[in-house]
Amino acid sequence: MFDDLNSVMRRVSWLGALLVSVIALVASVVGYFLAGTSGIFAAWAGSAAAFLFTVLTILSVLFGARLKIGGLLAMVLGGWLIKMVLFLVIFSYLNRAEWLVSEARPIVFFTVVAAVIGGLVLDTWVVSRARLSPEVKLP
Amino acid sequence: MQIIHLAAEAATQVSQISGNLGVIGYGLAAIGPGIGVGLVVSKTIESIARQPELASRLQVTMWLGIAFTEALALIGLATPFIFTA
Repeated sequence: MFDDLNSVMRRVSWLGALLVSVIALVASVVGYFLAGTSGIFAAWAGSAAAFLFTVLTILSVLFGARLKIGGLLAMVLGGWLIKMVLFLVIFSYLNRAEWLVSEARPIVFFTVVAAVIGGLVLDTWVVSRARLSPEVKLP
Repeated sequence: MQIIHLAAEAATQVSQISGNLGVIGYGLAAIGPGIGVGLVVSKTIESIARQPELASRLQVTMWLGIAFTEALALIGLATPFIFTA
């Protein structure tokens, strides 16, 4: 049984959600000890942002694969553009949020970095284990 | 003489420029991954055009390439949380 694009992406999404939940849990404990309640919210905001980033990439590739080659380009590159704008809005809101005390600010950054790097390790692991086959159509 | 005068005038104008340096930071954080993602997608399309039967496999590889490249952009956008003025 070979894997296709859909099954690989589904596995990455589930494992990614699990990884982000674990990171959010660990980061909220660390955040609570460093910055109190604000640290917990900072950890949640950081992990939610990183998860959204990963999921939007997966969705753009999955929907783009159903379209013709121009559609793939539009979905992947357009998705990237939308993601950047979305993140500017989210991070500029968080930058000015009054509930985010100054001690809690590094927690947002380190949660995002941990979730992104952990996600990359996970992606590479899933893809290297997947049994991908060329779609050869036999006569 | 006039050049010195112009240079002095330009120096006064430069000292009057104000704003947030984070804007330049965002530009620098977006330019590299922007070029990178464009290269990954263009090469994938080229490969699919050459060998359409490998499309599924190439798309998985493309997505992995994009994930690695855009991680830089996300980390770049999050830096204001540690680099405070």
